[in-house]
Amino acid sequence: MRQKYVCVAWLFLHFLLIISVSCRETLRLIAQGPTILPSSFKSYSQEAETTVSIALGQHLSASNHVRQTLATYLHISGIEASYGYFAPNVPGSYKLVFELHYRHGRVEYELPSVSSAAAAFRIAGLLDNIGRTRSDALREHLVKMMAQSIWREHADVETVRAIFGSIGLPSVRDFEHGKRESYEFLYAYDFSLQNESPKPNDH
Amino acid sequence: MQGLRERLLGFLFQDGTDQWLAILRVGLGFQVTFYSFSLRSDWNYLLSGAGNGVVSRNLAEALLSVESHFVPRLGWLVTLAAPTGLSEETVLSIAWGCLLVAGCGLLVGLACRFSAILAWFLQICTAKSGGFVSYGVDNFMTIGLFYLMLSPLPDRFSLDWRIRNLRPKHPQLLGFWRRVLQLHLCVIYFFSGLTKCLGSGWWNGSSVWRALIRPPFNVIDPEILVRWNYVFPVAGIFVCLLEITYPFFIWNSQTRKIWLVCICVMHVGIGVTMGMYLFALIMIVLNVAAFGPALSRMERCTASLQPHKAVS
Repeated sequence: MRQKYVCVAWLFLHFLLIISVSCRETLRLIAQGPTILPSSFKSYSQEAETTVSIALGQHLSASNHVRQTLATYLHISGIEASYGYFAPNVPGSYKLVFELHYRHGRVEYELPSVSSAAAAFRIAGLLDNIGRTRSDALREHLVKMMAQSIWREHADVETVRAIFGSIGLPSVRDFEHGKRESYEFLYAYDFSLQNESPKPNDH
Repeated sequence: MQGLRERLLGFLFQDGTDQWLAILRVGLGFQVTFYSFSLRSDWNYLLSGAGNGVVSRNLAEALLSVESHFVPRLGWLVTLAAPTGLSEETVLSIAWGCLLVAGCGLLVGLACRFSAILAWFLQICTAKSGGFVSYGVDNFMTIGLFYLMLSPLPDRFSLDWRIRNLRPKHPQLLGFWRRVLQLHLCVIYFFSGLTKCLGSGWWNGSSVWRALIRPPFNVIDPEILVRWNYVFPVAGIFVCLLEITYPFFIWNSQTRKIWLVCICVMHVGIGVTMGMYLFALIMIVLNVAAFGPALSRMERCTASLQPHKAVS
């Protein structure tokens, strides 16, 4: 009987965490919008999200043992993320093009490539992460690392320009009228062997 | 109060067979095996930390350390192997091989517990070290493997049971772990449906269209898709309602079969039309393991048998 009560107590805490994480992410989606809810919900959602985040220990210092323990448990049990895939709406995707500049002015274009379809989903996820991050430094660093991976395959390249943009998807009606994917330039970074630190061109 | 407590315990610790556990073990065995094979050629490229990969694994691990130092990661294995002179590439290849072996172990039911723990550990290492290149399938695999390694293994269909005559230590917990999986699926679909319902795109069908033409999920030519444009609003509303009502209709024996079949068809559809085969497989495995056995005649006939009684 004691074993059963221990199991029930664990179940309660486990699902409390799952539901808290799910609620927090749902409230975050409402706060960030756009959703079908009135815009007045945004501020309430933001406040509620903050409250749930506090309950999940997110406002404790990073070195706090309670926060670290909670984070460890959430990660090892796979419940650190919510389940709002493609929600509330399906976002557009991102594209990264490398412009490879060789000696004598030759220019080639290269896209990040992998061998398998399963890995292609992961690269698309990586581009989404680059596109959505609010940290310019992290974005630059990730693009730089991807540029380095391209560089290793093209050792004779002098400079690499990484051009990052978003892909706009047409609606059904637009598609029927001949409109196709659109590309919107977001960022460009120049890299050279002499000076590997990226130089953002445009934001 | 006493009655309520007994009802709760009766619900959580319901008697049943280990059929669901066999489905979960074999399904996750297939999943881990396919997962390993699907990433074989890009494994080192995606997970390298020494400047040979697409993005350094070290960055993802450093960010993970900000959250917690105790979440398993491939960096641990590389550091452990460093004194032996094994290169990072070799360690990553060994990790890939071990994950495949663990998947095969689960598939046939050999060293079930060890295979489940090894698969969970290596899968979580992969998912966390490749944090920037992880997506939903990694989360669901972690969830499935976490529950599997805690469940009373082995099941009676495994080689451990049949050849090595091993028996689970706590067979009375079979029903409990099945309930945990069932309840978790209910939360997953409820919140998935709820967040979709918040977007106008799922009500007018534009989200279905966008999901199908969004690279790299654009498996079907949009020229073909556009001929079926009247289906998108119906499909969008259907997905929203199916998911958000899952926790309410999956428990009723009258509606369980309809909801389970519809959910599995939805995941097959996602797999075929968006190329997300691994994602489709893990979701079908979790659903069929959780709610599938209740539909079969075999489960209904043997539901009163406690596994430990059957053994004695």
